[in-house]
Amino acid sequence: MQVGTALSFALPFAVAIAAFGSAFGLGRAVSAAMEAMGRQPEAAGKIQVGMIIGCALIEALTIYALATVFILMGKIS
Amino acid sequence: MIYRLLWSWLFPLLCVTEQGGEGAAGPPELPNIVTILSGWLHDNVVVAFLHHWENVFFAFVVGVTISMLAYFSSRRATLIPRGLQNVMEAVVEGLDNFFAGILGPEGRHFTPFLGTLFLYIWFMNLLGLVPGFMSPTGGVKGGYNITVSLAICVFLYVQFTGMRRLGLGGYLHHLAGSPTSAVQWLLVPLNLPIHVIGELAKPLSLSLRLFGNITGEDVLIAAFVGLGITALSFTHLPMGLPLHVPFIFLAILTGTIQALVFTLLSTIYFSMMLPHEEHH
Repeated sequence: MQVGTALSFALPFAVAIAAFGSAFGLGRAVSAAMEAMGRQPEAAGKIQVGMIIGCALIEALTIYALATVFILMGKIS
Repeated sequence: MIYRLLWSWLFPLLCVTEQGGEGAAGPPELPNIVTILSGWLHDNVVVAFLHHWENVFFAFVVGVTISMLAYFSSRRATLIPRGLQNVMEAVVEGLDNFFAGILGPEGRHFTPFLGTLFLYIWFMNLLGLVPGFMSPTGGVKGGYNITVSLAICVFLYVQFTGMRRLGLGGYLHHLAGSPTSAVQWLLVPLNLPIHVIGELAKPLSLSLRLFGNITGEDVLIAAFVGLGITALSFTHLPMGLPLHVPFIFLAILTGTIQALVFTLLSTIYFSMMLPHEEHH
């Protein structure tokens, strides 16, 4: 098996698994934020800001996988 | 506004006529003025130089734009602001209060650096959505240079602030995990490498996060522009469906959020390095 073949097989899996993991984590974060906003609607602004920042941090880990794909994509053929 | 919408619909025309604008191998990218120029003038030294350093060129464009905004808004400064000065004062005051909320009252000392960081990164992220320009922070070829340079600036300023505010001994004490009891002093050989690696991982994660998000958004938009052109390719007209328009809104959101996250994390690194106060 050549490097190009192995990479073409593995790189989409890398992004897919990273996307699955981040979807799981983001779902938990956003659902907790929604619940908190429902309990105390007057704090909704602060909760929303915190949720956005938390989501960006979780998303960053998926982006690391995407960046690795970008780096390795030139090696395919 | 309508002019900009029309321009972004007509932009696939430029994509079709300048096939050399997209990278031959690797993820698709929209052409910008530098790649269009280098498509027309192949052997010009200036154009080749600009094409090699196109990220730095566009970062320079953003810097000049922000400087001109600042100059023209403060030229005839009045006590009661109107117009551009009003907008800039609102932005600066909002950022000032934001950083003072996290860093405390002496955090206003850092507002010039962090505020400039936020505005610079925000404008750079949004520049990629203007037809004819690209985001200096994105782009597979050179975008990582810009983000890593910003992250290194933040890293060096945080360490310098720590050394200055805490003193050199206090800084090393902080790096070793702030040991106070005998048990913590024994754990210093374990804590010190962990803290050092943590400090080094901060600029890495900051730069990778910003680079990956903006590159991903721009590649997404370019891929959908290509899809729109392919959808109408049977007509042999140099036009395409504007399928990428919803993703422009997503890119505006992502660009703003990533600028905010970069600045907020830098602020938090400052607040972790400064001596902690016990009032919140």
